[in-house]
Amino acid sequence: MSDIFPKWTNKLPAMVIVGGMIVGGVVTAGVTYYMTPKYARVGYTPVQPVAFSHAIHADQLGLDCRYCHNGVEKSWYSNVPAASTCMNCHNQVLKDDPKLALVRESAATGKPIPWVQIHKTPDFVYFNHSVHVNRGVSCVHCHGPVNKMDEVRHSKSLGMAFCLECHRDPAAKIRPNDQVFNLDWQAPEGFAQKEGAKLVKDWNVHPGESCSVCHR
Amino acid sequence: MSAAAEHPVPSSVKIAPPPAELERQPLVLHNRSIGWLSDHIAGICEGEAPKWWLPALIISSTMMLMMFGCIGYLISTGVGVWGLNQPVAWAWDITNFVFWIGIGHAGTLISAILFLLRQKWRTSVNRAAEAMTLFAVACAGIFPIIHVGRIWYAVWWLPPIPNNYDIWVNFRSPLLWDVFAVSTYGTVSLLFWYTGLIPDLATMRDRATSKVKKFLYGFFAFGWTGSNRHWSNYEKAYLLLAGLSTPLVLSVHSIVSFDFAVSQVPGWHTTIFPPYFVAGAVFSGFGMVLTLLIPLRTLCKLEDIVTVRHVELMCKVILATGSIVGYAYGMEFFIAWYGGNPYELAAFKNRAFGPYWWSYWWMISCNVISPHLFWFKWCRTNMVFVFIVTIFVNIGMWFERFVIIVTSLHRDYLPSSWGYFRPTWVDVCTFLGSFGLFFTLFLLFMRYLPMIAISEVKGVTPQADPHHPQGGAKHGGNH
Amino acid sequence: MNAHGLMAVFDTPADAMRAAEQVRDAGYSKWDVHTPFPVHGLDAAMGLPNSKVGWFTFLGGVTGYTTGMTMIWWMNAFDYKIVIGGKPMFSPFYSFPVSYELTILFASFGSLIGMFLLNRLPRLHHPLLKNRKFCQGATHDKFILVIETADPKFNDQETRRLLASAGSKHIEMVED
Repeated sequence: MSDIFPKWTNKLPAMVIVGGMIVGGVVTAGVTYYMTPKYARVGYTPVQPVAFSHAIHADQLGLDCRYCHNGVEKSWYSNVPAASTCMNCHNQVLKDDPKLALVRESAATGKPIPWVQIHKTPDFVYFNHSVHVNRGVSCVHCHGPVNKMDEVRHSKSLGMAFCLECHRDPAAKIRPNDQVFNLDWQAPEGFAQKEGAKLVKDWNVHPGESCSVCHR
Repeated sequence: MSAAAEHPVPSSVKIAPPPAELERQPLVLHNRSIGWLSDHIAGICEGEAPKWWLPALIISSTMMLMMFGCIGYLISTGVGVWGLNQPVAWAWDITNFVFWIGIGHAGTLISAILFLLRQKWRTSVNRAAEAMTLFAVACAGIFPIIHVGRIWYAVWWLPPIPNNYDIWVNFRSPLLWDVFAVSTYGTVSLLFWYTGLIPDLATMRDRATSKVKKFLYGFFAFGWTGSNRHWSNYEKAYLLLAGLSTPLVLSVHSIVSFDFAVSQVPGWHTTIFPPYFVAGAVFSGFGMVLTLLIPLRTLCKLEDIVTVRHVELMCKVILATGSIVGYAYGMEFFIAWYGGNPYELAAFKNRAFGPYWWSYWWMISCNVISPHLFWFKWCRTNMVFVFIVTIFVNIGMWFERFVIIVTSLHRDYLPSSWGYFRPTWVDVCTFLGSFGLFFTLFLLFMRYLPMIAISEVKGVTPQADPHHPQGGAKHGGNH
Repeated sequence: MNAHGLMAVFDTPADAMRAAEQVRDAGYSKWDVHTPFPVHGLDAAMGLPNSKVGWFTFLGGVTGYTTGMTMIWWMNAFDYKIVIGGKPMFSPFYSFPVSYELTILFASFGSLIGMFLLNRLPRLHHPLLKNRKFCQGATHDKFILVIETADPKFNDQETRRLLASAGSKHIEMVED
């Protein structure tokens, strides 16, 4: 006795199929958009303990990246400078500015400024800064135009697809070594095909696509 | 049983004895009518739960919770809570996986291969065996998932759906074949089981008294009316599913064996593995079917449907597959010697006489000696005896996987890294808990779904044949 | 029209089968026999053609095999080439196990979808399922022949007479 199902329930299978397709499509689209690093990471701009502006220091004043991040050419890790580096100038410039109180305190006590880390690869990724910046990969490729940023924000996805884009075709992104820290440098027309390819060949650049290149 | 009195055989019908050479023991004893079958089988789900049911459910669900607790502990802490480590990087996890997936082989074998071979006795046991398959596959599926530890990293290649990493999995890896094989097996077993269930759900729906039951059984019966136009398509689909499941069931454990055989570890790298694993799987699966059905046929008064003959036939399958397994054990040793590979021979000597000698001899005594008792009719027809032997079969087949996995790994090529695997309490509790999950699911199944394929058993009774005297062939027929 | 059809109850498969032969020979088209289990020979007695489910299975199997082979070629030999042991990027051998499983998976789905499509199931609401006598019998131990009123040859008296002469003890009009 199954008279408990009214007549409209005969349309249920069609409704379930159509509804399932709609829900499935929306979920797939949502996951594709919201769960990728492109969405989840790009645009992350935390408030830093000291309102340091890269735009003023690197662009307006023309400081080289390596003045502060001085380990980047020699180490896998690009260091964040100690407060003493800041004090090289700020013991003269703006030496009593209240905005720099934390920097002065850190320099005096040795207690580091609690900067909020923005760019971070997962534990299972071995990324080496020195090997990249010594072979014509500029800061701007992964970090974006930091020299134009008042507050640093995460501007590239840094997902695996992002890495592979360059690892599969290094000539398209490579630049002369003397332009690596010039974040405004634009490759001239046809650079990748001729000079880029030549750099890859001369420097013996084999970025590798196998798993163990990055996941060791 | 009073139910028998309600459905008497009409006295006007005279049953002509079949010719002596065709005489066979009937599949349903005491000449039960087809109405008795639905009353009796559906009655198991309809009446009050038997007294033992709730305590059994509480015990098994407690064990199940224990497993989930262990899994939570494992995932939050890391795989270090298990006893495995280099060189024994696979231990109880994969042992349990292969053990459960092997048990899951009997259901589809009974439902598919015996269907194609027109073994009508399958109808009494196929539903319970298929359900057991599904639950065993569910238990099996847990272990490969949790053995990776931080599972959210292991499925990095799944979400987000359009591949966000620009790379793909390696289809040369037998482990990936295994993913496809086991998930296909789980899915097809579920489809097969559910297809078989539809007419019986309709029976349950039409017998239901409460509104909730009417709704649930009615919903899942999909509006089945027993129409013969539907039966015609249904039977064709069922036959095709059986035809598809047969190569599937043989391929699944072959592919599971590739996980080992395609590697280069001595003791694993052998070509005998696929048939040997399939035979072992069927052997253990039938062992588990009997372990479940022998108590159930008494507890649920199913002796007329799951007869001694059914049990005897399954014992013969156990005997046959057990002999194949025993042969494979012998042949492995022979080839290790005859093949002339010193590493292979050392691995096998180590298996039987090394530090894990006890597990090897457990396996041999349970798997090689105990099935051969079934050469004797007394052993096949004594229910208590069969039950005890099937328990040994289950134990033996677990040890077989343990022997293959752990003893092959524990002595590496590098003697300095040799080790001895010992399980931790988390290993033990997770494994015991998987039985809790298995029995919980099975207890729920037997309480809420018809445990025996009602419509199929009806179809093999003598009355179901339109040409049988009881079917009313008095007017004859031209088909 | 507020009647679904005429329903005749039979006690044995043989009775239902004989009735089916008569109804078939009388030339009805919209009718059916509802049985608790598939009765051997009833298809012929009803004059049903061979089921077409096999075509769906075949289609599913072919789709599965091609999906498997194409997917593996595309993933491992085209979109993301992995060199393993210097072997060819694509070979039908290593891609076989997965394609084989997908053949079976898709063919199984094909069989079931085909069965449901051909049977027009799920159909939760059905006039017959509202009838007490029908529900007590069709899935239990009775064999029920139903001739729909929508059948062009349907005639209340004549159809009733035909079913009675076929030996049914219970004939009833089923409401829609």
